[in-house]
Amino acid sequence: MALKDVEVKKKMNQFLYTVVLLAFSLPIITGFSLLILSSFSNEMVTNFDFLKTFLTLQNWKLLFQGRIALTGGLRENILLYAFNTLIVALGVAVLTTFVGTISGYAISRMNFKGRKILLIMMLLLHALPGSVLIVGVYFLYRVSMPTNYQFIRYFSFFYVIIARAALEVPFSVWLMKGFFDMLPWEVEWSAIVDGASRWKVWYRIMLPLIKPGVVAVLIFGFLAGWQDIIYVRTFLIDKTLATFIESNLETEVAYMPLLAAAATFYLLPTVLFYVFSQQLLFKVYAGGIRR
Amino acid sequence: MARIVLENISKRFGKFTALDEISLQIEDGEFLVLLGPSGSGKTTLMYLIAGIYKPTVGRVFFDDLEVTKISPKDRNVGLVFQNWALYPHMKVYDNIAFPLTLKKMSKIHIDQKVRQVASMLKIDALLDRYPWQLSGGQQQRVAIARALVKEPKVLLFDEPLSNLDALLRLNVRAEIKRLQKDLQITSIYVTHDQAEALAIADRIAIINNGKLVQLGTPEEVYNNPEHTFVASFLGNPPMNLLNALLQKENEEISLRIDELQIQITERLCERLKNLSEVIVGFRPEHVELTDMPTDGVINIPAEIYTVEPMGREVFITVVVSGRIVKTICSQAERFSYKQKVFLKIKEENLLFFDPASGSRV
Repeated sequence: MALKDVEVKKKMNQFLYTVVLLAFSLPIITGFSLLILSSFSNEMVTNFDFLKTFLTLQNWKLLFQGRIALTGGLRENILLYAFNTLIVALGVAVLTTFVGTISGYAISRMNFKGRKILLIMMLLLHALPGSVLIVGVYFLYRVSMPTNYQFIRYFSFFYVIIARAALEVPFSVWLMKGFFDMLPWEVEWSAIVDGASRWKVWYRIMLPLIKPGVVAVLIFGFLAGWQDIIYVRTFLIDKTLATFIESNLETEVAYMPLLAAAATFYLLPTVLFYVFSQQLLFKVYAGGIRR
Repeated sequence: MARIVLENISKRFGKFTALDEISLQIEDGEFLVLLGPSGSGKTTLMYLIAGIYKPTVGRVFFDDLEVTKISPKDRNVGLVFQNWALYPHMKVYDNIAFPLTLKKMSKIHIDQKVRQVASMLKIDALLDRYPWQLSGGQQQRVAIARALVKEPKVLLFDEPLSNLDALLRLNVRAEIKRLQKDLQITSIYVTHDQAEALAIADRIAIINNGKLVQLGTPEEVYNNPEHTFVASFLGNPPMNLLNALLQKENEEISLRIDELQIQITERLCERLKNLSEVIVGFRPEHVELTDMPTDGVINIPAEIYTVEPMGREVFITVVVSGRIVKTICSQAERFSYKQKVFLKIKEENLLFFDPASGSRV
């Protein structure tokens, strides 16, 4: 009887959790649903003018044709913007992960002067919003980076990637330090006694063991780069999807359902990543080590 | 293969002294066991030989080459960790091949060596499994294979059997000893299990509180402990140690344990005459229990406390004037609780220690 009692209670809890979670996520779900629905409609669903509204694929067709309005000859290369966004996102992801894993390892495993101060400074940097730092970053770039007008268009990608990655680095270093802290010293010692240098220990033994952590940092970095708007707007000559949508929202010719399609397109990687990486983030690589 | 010399090694972690002036020489091809309770510094000493730790003071030599400051990766030692420290993301084959791949050997050469070592340790059928798919004993073999494959000068074992179950431990113990004798690699084996140490070692170094207490063959350290610590650490059950006062009455000395007075011969008197107190030690197996006192030996009256049959023998605990004494008897003898008996001990089996320093008189 006691067992049944517990089970009933558990079900009650389950129900409660579901209700609370739904209540929290309802506004978000509604918002996204309206956006996606609008992208397939001739008019924004948010107008609530359901008599005139019907479903259509017109917006998506126009989007990929590069036309941003129903009429007129305004053309924009949406695929190029997507490509630009991808470059920024991948750049931020790779740079963040590289710096994060390597400094996370050093901070977790090596004893050097200023280690504690470095960790605290990182936390402080993480606490500052990126928009506050942008003036300083701009100033630094103006005085220290080459400004060749021929290459600035391509060079500006580095501007964005480095600045944006710098904002993600503190978090990734902390996360990676946590992962490295979990690994037993014996495995590392074993590799060193086997003849490996610290570099080899790092990439042949330690990194494969914290794969889920590395992938998590990669994904966080990618999403940060993909979602960024202020750094892209400030430093990038070209447009990304974010700046494209933002700049078109304000124009007189703005055709909202088409922008809804662009926004939905822009949202896709984020959704996909969360769906596919959820399981991975929970997984912890273990086995062969007894503690 | 190498002779290892440790010269005046001290290791401090902050204010804590883990090792205190240890000097030790390990001969080429010798199997040395570092024995001590947990926290005694024995693993620290082994890590110093491997190069994972560097000594605060002192020097380490392999043959005539000083390696004190040389990185562990250049020392060519094989190390088997307590938890085996296999690389969980690599298959058994890659685990064993790992030290060789770092040496930039050709693939064919590596393959040949890996298979040779694997067949020697009878794990050739497991090569494409992952460590977590293996039993404890198999993981142990992989760890030993990985340590052996690079043909190390020195083989180090850090309590390699403590994660195995009792029966397997006996088998692997014998195999490790045989392997070491076949390969003639200088080996150092760390353990806190005295039976393991006695069984496997050419020589045992007993370490306590960071100090080398005694060094000798298993027979030496068992039969002639130079310190009460060694006496009480070796043997199952360990040596009985009783505090006694020395009573001097006109040139004659007798031992006094509380109310109990034990006469000793003149030969012993000579050795003990400068002391007023002494610790008397004797091994459980050197005691015989009798109903009546016997002439020519030492007789100590006692009372049976518990009887523990162990199969081949019986552990009998007796009380000697309020103090516990362990003895071992054959199965045939029968004793009952609270029975009055006499402990019969030959005088040559008594060892005497100085209570102040703990060392042998």
